[in-house]
Parts: sequence; C-alpha cells; structure tokens
Amino acid sequence: MAEKPFTLAVPDADLEFLHKKLEFTRLPDELDDAKWDYGVPLDDINRLVAKWKDGFDWRASEAAINVIPQFTRDIEVDGHGTLNIHYVHQKSKLENAIPLLFVHGWPGHFMEVAKLLPLLTVVAPDQPSFHVVALSFPGFGFSEAPKKKGFAMTQYAEVGHKLMLALGYKEYVTQGGDWGHVVTKTIVQTYGGKHAKAWHSNCVNNTGPPSLKSTPWLYLKYLVTPFSEDDRKGFERSAWFQMKGTGYFQEQSTYPQTLGYSLADSPVGLLAWIYEKLVTWTDNYPWTDDEVLTWISLYWFSRPGPAASVRIYYEVVAASDFTRPQWISVPIGFSYFPKELMIAPKLWGRALGNVVFESDHKSGGHFAAHEKPRELAKDLRKMFGIGGPAFGVVSGKSGYTVA
Amino acid sequence: MAEKPFTLAVPDADLELLRKKLELTRLPDELEGSKWDYGVPLEDIKRLVAKWKDGFDWRAAEAKINAIPQFTRDIEVEGHGTLNVHYVHQKSELQNAIPLLFVHGWPGHFMEVAKLLPLLTAVAPDQPSFHVVAFSLPGFGFSEAPKEKGFAISQYAEVGHKLMLALGYNEYVTQGGDWGFLITRVIAQKYGGKHAKAWHTNFPVTGPPSLTYSPGLFLRFLVTPFSAEEKKGIERTMWFRSKGRGYFEEQSTNPQTLGYSLADSPAGLLAWIHEKLVTWTDGYPWTDDESEYFCVVKGDMSSKPVLTPSPLIVEVLTWISIYWFSRPGPAASVRIYYEASTAKDWDKTQYVPIPFGISLFPKELARVPKLWTRAIGKLVFASEHESGGHFAAHEKPAELADDLKKMFGVGGPAFGIVTGKSGYTAA
Repeated sequence: MAEKPFTLAVPDADLEFLHKKLEFTRLPDELDDAKWDYGVPLDDINRLVAKWKDGFDWRASEAAINVIPQFTRDIEVDGHGTLNIHYVHQKSKLENAIPLLFVHGWPGHFMEVAKLLPLLTVVAPDQPSFHVVALSFPGFGFSEAPKKKGFAMTQYAEVGHKLMLALGYKEYVTQGGDWGHVVTKTIVQTYGGKHAKAWHSNCVNNTGPPSLKSTPWLYLKYLVTPFSEDDRKGFERSAWFQMKGTGYFQEQSTYPQTLGYSLADSPVGLLAWIYEKLVTWTDNYPWTDDEVLTWISLYWFSRPGPAASVRIYYEVVAASDFTRPQWISVPIGFSYFPKELMIAPKLWGRALGNVVFESDHKSGGHFAAHEKPRELAKDLRKMFGIGGPAFGVVSGKSGYTVA
Repeated sequence: MAEKPFTLAVPDADLELLRKKLELTRLPDELEGSKWDYGVPLEDIKRLVAKWKDGFDWRAAEAKINAIPQFTRDIEVEGHGTLNVHYVHQKSELQNAIPLLFVHGWPGHFMEVAKLLPLLTAVAPDQPSFHVVAFSLPGFGFSEAPKEKGFAISQYAEVGHKLMLALGYNEYVTQGGDWGFLITRVIAQKYGGKHAKAWHTNFPVTGPPSLTYSPGLFLRFLVTPFSAEEKKGIERTMWFRSKGRGYFEEQSTNPQTLGYSLADSPAGLLAWIHEKLVTWTDGYPWTDDESEYFCVVKGDMSSKPVLTPSPLIVEVLTWISIYWFSRPGPAASVRIYYEASTAKDWDKTQYVPIPFGISLFPKELARVPKLWTRAIGKLVFASEHESGGHFAAHEKPAELADDLKKMFGVGGPAFGIVTGKSGYTAA
C-alpha cells in the first residue's frame, strides 16, 4: 500500500474500556519507607492512576500528537511478508535538507522525536536543516507487529532502510538511542557507504574495550590511558545498571509472552513497568503527570498492544545479530550523557569505527531526545553543519540554501 | 495472640472483583508457532481465564482446603514486631510421632504439603509417623506480610523455629525446597543440635566444594568425573541459568514494580506463576478440569499405602487463586527475592553437623553433583529419582514421603533423632 496520511484516533470504546479497567484497579501494599528501593513507589502510582482515571485528557494529547505529520505505508521485509509501518515525516522547507532517520527504542516510541522536529527542520543560514523521518518499530506505536518468529536486528534495519528509500531518500543519515542505537548501527553496517552516509548515537553501550586484534592502536592507547573522573562515574553508573537494572531485560529476552499478559491486561502494571524506566533512566527529568500518562497511553493504545513491544529483546538476543565487530567507515558521532545506562570511556567507543564527532554533556540521561532536545540538536548541527566533520555527507543535500 | 483455628473464607466481594476483572481481561497477540518459546502459550491462558471466570468453583476448592487443619498465631520476630502467622498443623494419632516442619518457597504455598499429609501422618508398624507443620511464609498465603524492610532468610527461619517451639515441639526436623531449602538451612545453622535435629531437602543447591572450607571434598571434586545423570543435571542447571532467571532478576531488584501487575491482573498473575508450574515440573499433568484429582491414601494402613483418586482440589486455578486471594496480596510474595539477595544472610561456608538428607529429582532447576552437597552438611541420606521436578511434594508425594520414612525410620540414618519421638508405637 502506498503512503497514506495517518491520524491517531483511538476509538471511544477503547477509552471507555481503559476507564473501566482503571476503576477496578487493585493495588499492592508497600513496605514502610521503601521509597524507590523496591521499585516504583506506591504514592506515585496512586497519584498517576487517579489522574489517568479522572483528569487526564487523552483527546487533548491525541490532538497534540496529530499536529505532527504522520503516515503509514507497507514495507516488504524478507521472510516476513508485508508490514504496515507508521512513521513521522516532517520535511524542512529547504529542499536539500539532510534526510535523517530517527530510530527509537524500548520503552520509547515515535513521539520521542517530537521536541527535535522544530529544532532540526528549521531553516537558518548558520545551521543545517534536516528532513526528519521517525518510524514506529514493527510491534510498537502504530506499526503492525511481525507475525512470525525471528524478526531481529537485520529485519528492523531493513525496515528503516527501505522506508528511507521509499520516501525518495537514496542517501540519508541516522540517529538512534537504546535499540535505535543498535538498529542504526546495523543500518550503517549493512547499507553504509552507498545509502547510510553517517551515524549518530546518544547511547554507546554495547561495546567493550578496544581489542588488540581489531584496533591495535586504540588497544595500546587503552592500556596506557588512565580512567578519568568521568570514566569512573560512568563505570559506577554501568555497574548500577548491571546489578540493579537488568531484571526487565532478563525477563523480556527470555519470556516476553509471559510478561506480555500483564502488560496487555493491567493499565497500572504497564504504567509501573514503563514509568520505572522513565524515572530511573533519566537525569532528574521533571516529568509531568500528563507527560507520563501520554507516554504510557501510547503503549496501552498501541496498534499491536504492549506485549508485542518486548519481543525485540527475545528476538535480538536469540539471533545474536547485534554485536558484529565490523569496523564502521562512515562518519560516526557520539553524544555522551552522564545518566545513560552503560557508559564506556570514549576511547572504547572509538573502536566501533570512524568516530568524527564526540560531545560531552553535564546532564541528561537515556531518553536524550526527550530530555535534552536542544543539546542533541546542537550536536547534530555541529556534526553535519558547515565546518563539521560530516558536512555534505549526503550528495547534494548539505542542509543549507545554495548560496 | 494465642493459637486460633483458621478457616479460609474469601469474602464474596473479593470473588466478585475477581470475576469482574476476569471479564475485562485484555489478552495480547502471539507469534505464529511460538508454542512455549516466548512464554506461556496464548491458548493455555485463554482456556484458563475462561475457566476461572466461568466454571471454576472457588467455594468448592475452599471447602477442600479447609478439610486440612489450619491455625494462626502471633509470632514475635526480632526487629519486626509481631506477625500473625498462618499454618497447617496435622498431628499423627501417634503421640510420639516425629515433629516435622515443612517449608515452601515461591511460587509455592502451604498447600504443597497437602498430598504429603496422609502419607506422613499415617500410623503403621513398618514406617515412622510424623506430626506435620507447614506454615505460610510471612508475605504468602494467609500469614501477615512483614511491614519493614530487611525481612530476610534469618527472619523466615526465626518464624519457623519459633512456631515449632510455640507448638510444644522443642525438638523437630525440617523438610524444604526452593526458598524452603535456604530457610531450613539457616534453621539448621542457627538452631541445629539443640532444637533442629535433622533436615531434608529436595533442592540442595550449592557451588562446588571450596578448597578453603572443604579441602577434602575439593580434592575429590577435582578427580571425580560426573555421572551421566549429573551431566544431564548440569545441562538442566545451565538451561535454568541462561533461560530461566528473568523472574529472579526482576523480583530481586524491582519487586514492587512487578507487584503492581501481579496485584492488578488475574491473567498476568496466572501467566507469571503458571509458567513455573509447567516449566519447573517434569511433565506433571496439571489440570484445570474439576474431574481430575489429588491422590490420597486409602486402604489398609498395615500395608503399603494405596493411592486412589479422591476429589480434593482443582489444581492450577486453585493454586493461582491462593496467590490472588492471599492475605497480603501477591506482590508481597516476591519481595523475598529482593531481601534475600540484599541481605545474603545464609552462610555458604558453615557446615551443618546435624543429619542431612537429600532427594534428587531430574527436572529440579539446579542439579548439582551429589559430591558437592556433602559440603553443605552431614549428608546421611541421598536418593535419586527417575522423574519429578521442582515441586517434589506436589509432583511426587509418595516418593518424597518414602524418602523421609527411609531417612527417619527404623534402620534409617536419622532414626530416633528427636528425643522420645521415634515415630513408632513404643514396643
């Protein structure tokens, strides 16, 4: 099916059903003074559920979401037939703006790009402009979910790439965090050079120290470079995540269906499961209740339902197709935020490939596009702007008015 | 509060809420051909939810649960105040039967002892008889849940021990699996010798002997090849470590977050537990059909007990309902993982010198070579079975009861371990 404009319009019956379920919410007890030690505090959940039930205006959120231009189209995926894919596509007024594919993760979604849109698509003489495409992963948001087993990193990358081609962007650049990091990395490894011309990520987390075999020069540097204070803090954060923060990952990568029954059936269960990440993965981001409830509602009302979204963990871990050591030769940019989940010394990131841009930030966490849109946009402009290390990487689309 | 008899009587309003919630169940999709690869199959959940909503007679199940003598009493726990503890207490007709404390785990509960009761409390000249006590761990079943942080293995052990003393059993033996293993291990370590006289487990999980603490065993370990069964056991153990620990990681780090789902979603709770009932057992024929039965002993007590079908309980839905209707709610039950993982309050190195018995079942989650278990304590009894899994008391009650009888019976390695309570009529 060719491109169709998409307007989010959750049926009244679905709203009514959610409301009924919320009315019958049964909450657990809580230990005295548990705070955040055992998970999301009961206070937070009480407040959010009460609001979700009475006071939260989904239609208003929906209207705000619909201001952003969205579409659907069918994409053919090898071995998986046709999937109907939902995406944001905001073009710059500048014709030769840089086509950029933004890829979210879990528990993210297409709306993570929202704050970046005006910043990236604006036309100004001193900064590059972008055409921005942000898809809903199959199984997330308003894209269809895969029906067959085995839809892993190769397939997610294929969808992103084919979407850009279908939109007429034969050459493009990518930006991703969380699973988006892995998908965009796979895209540049698979389609780089010819189509994917550059890669930016805010989440450099699945890399180890440089190895003697693959990057001997970096390996030697690694041996003699002491860890900085920032590196140490990064290790602490990574250690926290490894020790305390991977329960969801373990369950989702082994028994996503079992967990899925809870996520599909319990609004408060889904709320807690995701809200925990919204808080613990960000850097004191001042979530408003409306923001949180809109975010969770996007999962609750998602086209395939929330259970489909957690299968990516199982599929990718089972396929093991996300740790290719292949050196990436297209320009790479990394933005480092202190409250990311796994933080490696920058030296290690450089072992991934042709890193031409690095930036350090004093604040910000895992959901960088949502928490720090201005900073992230600035980084992209620095990387792709005039004088930047990836300027003009897309043929004929520098992002500037031809002088 | 002194002992009060306990009758399970779930309020009508609670049954009504469950039914309403079941009616509003929203199910997920499922990948084609996924079977059990991704978790509990949708077909199973659909069937169980439909039955739970219409057709499952909780009151009938409740009546059958109430056929087992249950009580509550207050137990004081250091640093945690008083907790009202629920327990089964079935005495043998024989006064000097051996007092035995049965300790369940997660997602188990007090009713795991049900099939053992008639087998262990039976009086016969050729087998020892037991008085059986099985409590609901605080936070499970119909015991109160702890209110303060830090209620870990030592505290569970304290409750079990104090309960036995309160019941007049100054000396007793224990049987435990899952968390029950660790809890009875701490009971043995803390109260062993004077009060806890012997212990038995179907879940002897331990690492290889250490050079520091059990050098003799360590050396033997280095040179002893694994048997074929042990190799299979190690495979099973590795499967569990790589595929089976998602629940463990979540429950030991963010139990409260998970708890919201377990408290609010019957289908979610059902799936979360049912997955274990199936993947942790050895082809056990769980049924949601009311015509299927537990087995009880019938017939002439002087010969080997004859197991005949007798209506007792509808299995899966009753099991899950006990969690759904539990006194503190299902979310409290998963905190034991967090508390135990944080406190790590069992001594891996302390060798327990009281008689120790193990029963090994092939589909247990962590199967360690028998040699390794000798580092835990004074191993006097070990049996290996051809079939059975993690919920041994429920899956293989006859085998487990037989093992206990062998261990504690005349000629057995722990015979007469409890002063004056051999389990036999004084000749």
